Amino acid sequence: MSGVVQPPLVRERLPSGLEVVVARRAGIPLAAIRLLLRAGSALDPPGRAGLASLVALSARRGTRRLPGERLDAAVEATGGELGIGVDEDAAVAGLSVPVGELGRSLGLVADVAATPGLAPAEVARLRRREVAGLAHDASEPGVLADRALLRFGYGDHPYGHPSEGLARDLRRTTRAEVVAFHALRWRPSRATVVLVGPIDVPAALALVRRRFGGWRAAPGGDLEVAPVSRPRDRRVVIVDRPEQGQAQIRLGFPGLPRASAEHAAGVVAGAVLGGGFTSRLMEAIRVDRGLSYGVRGRFASARAGGLFVVSSFTKVESAGELVRVALAELARFADEGPTAEELDRMRAYLGGLHPLSLETHEAWAEKLVEVELYGLGPDEVTGFRERLAAVDAAACRALSARSFGGEGRLVVAVGPARRLAPQLEHLGPVTVVAPGAVM
Amino acid sequence: MRGPELDPEAPFDPGAVHAVSLSNGLRLRVLAERGWPTVSYQTFFQVGSRDERPGITGISHLFEHMMFNGAARYGPKEFDRVLEGRGGHSNAFTSTDLTVYHDDFAADALEVVADLESDRMESLRIDDAVLEQERAVVKEERRLRTDDSAFGLMEEQLEALVFLAHPYRWPVVGWMADIERITRADCEAFFRSAYAPSNAAVYLVGDVDPDRALQLLERRYGHLPARPPLARTPGDEPEQRGPRQAIIGFPAEAPAILVGWRGPAARSPDSLALDLVQACLAIGEASRLRRRMIHGGGAVSVNASWGWRIDPGVFMVFAELPPGGRADRAERMILEEVARLADRPVAGAELRRARALLRSALLHELGTHHGLAQALGQAEALLGDWREAARALGRYEALGPADLRRAARAWLDPARRSTVILDPREAR
Repeated sequence: MSGVVQPPLVRERLPSGLEVVVARRAGIPLAAIRLLLRAGSALDPPGRAGLASLVALSARRGTRRLPGERLDAAVEATGGELGIGVDEDAAVAGLSVPVGELGRSLGLVADVAATPGLAPAEVARLRRREVAGLAHDASEPGVLADRALLRFGYGDHPYGHPSEGLARDLRRTTRAEVVAFHALRWRPSRATVVLVGPIDVPAALALVRRRFGGWRAAPGGDLEVAPVSRPRDRRVVIVDRPEQGQAQIRLGFPGLPRASAEHAAGVVAGAVLGGGFTSRLMEAIRVDRGLSYGVRGRFASARAGGLFVVSSFTKVESAGELVRVALAELARFADEGPTAEELDRMRAYLGGLHPLSLETHEAWAEKLVEVELYGLGPDEVTGFRERLAAVDAAACRALSARSFGGEGRLVVAVGPARRLAPQLEHLGPVTVVAPGAVM
Repeated sequence: MRGPELDPEAPFDPGAVHAVSLSNGLRLRVLAERGWPTVSYQTFFQVGSRDERPGITGISHLFEHMMFNGAARYGPKEFDRVLEGRGGHSNAFTSTDLTVYHDDFAADALEVVADLESDRMESLRIDDAVLEQERAVVKEERRLRTDDSAFGLMEEQLEALVFLAHPYRWPVVGWMADIERITRADCEAFFRSAYAPSNAAVYLVGDVDPDRALQLLERRYGHLPARPPLARTPGDEPEQRGPRQAIIGFPAEAPAILVGWRGPAARSPDSLALDLVQACLAIGEASRLRRRMIHGGGAVSVNASWGWRIDPGVFMVFAELPPGGRADRAERMILEEVARLADRPVAGAELRRARALLRSALLHELGTHHGLAQALGQAEALLGDWREAARALGRYEALGPADLRRAARAWLDPARRSTVILDPREAR
């Protein structure tokens, strides 16, 4: 099986502290641009869930030089669409542009980062829109389940709220707080520019120096998020939606930080249990019992920690059975670990997916952002197969026994509480909440 | 992988596609792209919900599920187990017009994949236990995507408004009662007719030697017997003589609106013009509806979709409104912006922006082996020629403001719209 050839990486650090990573790669004549800002929603102040996201949305709506519609027109004239996604650890601005437009597009991204307009009327409009958007999300059972998992899985940790925020917090967030968060957290010393495509590397570096060279920030703002602590109790949370015919189910257990030395074991264990179409959970829940259309299990890892998460859904009357089957499979795996055949198959499967996941400039740019954000090693891509090969059954079993073989366990179900509670109450104390409690 | 000197007007070389038709009617298309060690192997069957009839709606999709459950050489649970063990993964989708199976894998697994795919095309096992298992799975899929989903219910309702007689009026997943009604005999008859070699094409793109790959495919599929062609369901549709509207009650906190029009078939030149209309209306933040409804009008989101089909497609605009938002006001904004496109030619800069956005999207699509194979198959199924996948960029460049205006006038007439409103009050 052929491996992945990594394009040569050229790195530079600007005097402001901004890191630059450039990879020249043949392929379609578009360059992928990413600006990684270590300013994710874990830095939202208490009572301001959604502030990091609101800052990113507001910055995207115009700079001091180019107000909203002029910025939109300038970005999209090249065929690019500039978006800024926010997760718990970072805000990442990204777009793809024709190679010849790289300079102009870098200038626009630099302006968005360094001198966003943050106009009061735009901030107020975006806040209203975000709150209204959450009203739509509140009728999506899957969204409610994911939000409840974060809220009750991470508890008071900064990962315990969704990056999109909570309606009650967004309503009271002020424009002054948006401006202050930007000034403190969006800083070149905590940012990385990544460029991938058929580009001239020295010219691209010169463009980054010119466009980003003037970005400065006051000292401070280097805040690290505390490690996630392991939950030690068992509980059941039901988000009550009486009208649903199908229950959304999430199971949460202690997990790993992304940079953990056990990450590869987590990837393999997750794949055997809940990846692909041949996983144990898929076979037990979909193939053998027809309980659900899909089920996934994986270590969801971020910078400061993570959870092992199982996601599925089934008709309300089968919710208890689905949870029972899933827990039995997890317990069996924590006891026995994977078989030799499963290990071989999953190593081949994951090794085969690896080149498929790195076929485009965009995919490489995302991977390089991941390496930078989580502080992964220079062999993150090229050493992937070797790390897979080094994972043995004992490593999978030890990790699994610690994660879902212990006492910490959260069961989330979204649907009619009156019918779900009797099916789940033997699994731990049941808390019933209204959808609004997680929105 | 294509080099940086690529001509943007021809994103791949159609002359490099090796095309063969076997005596049983199966079409084989192979494109070598040697720069990256993966292969995409896609089998297109020209069958979808448009080929069904009332009573067994959803059989195309249910049958897609059946295809993963064992055949003569590879028994139950073996398809994915063997493929994953060779570094690949597989999935499938069913649309109104097509059922497509796609495998993406490390290049050295090609022989095994050809064996797996030809095995199930030749000798699928259909038994009652598998049917019952997949029926239960599909019912959960329908609950997930339609019955408990505001947008899913609205989309299903819109198709039923836009089409009175054409089979596009029923959902691809099928009505729940029909999913429960489909029998093993229905499935066996469906397999014999819809999965005949003459109703299928195999697309292979990636790190392969094209001559050896074609020899392999001919070995695997050449002996399959020819079968009679699939009898198509008639698809005549009467003229729409006025606006149609439906209101859906759903337990939600905020309203939404979906407006749709019956458009042309994919082969019409207006299909490309409507792609550009879609970009002007709702792709990107500078699009007309985003500017008017989101940046200026208080809407939460607005999107337009124009999906090409063998028979008339549906041009849709979907908007989510804030709690208490007025659907009639949102509909008026949508109709006013559509009317502006029909009344006045778009400016040069706006047209260039629309073309640039579509060009980027197309280049991204064609930038992977999977995307290329998909584009070849879609072009052949919908337009009759896989070479059309290489021509799309040039065709957008050839369209001018008058073409957009003509297409908007012809197909987006307010008197022939259908509107679905999500009313959160109805459910209280």
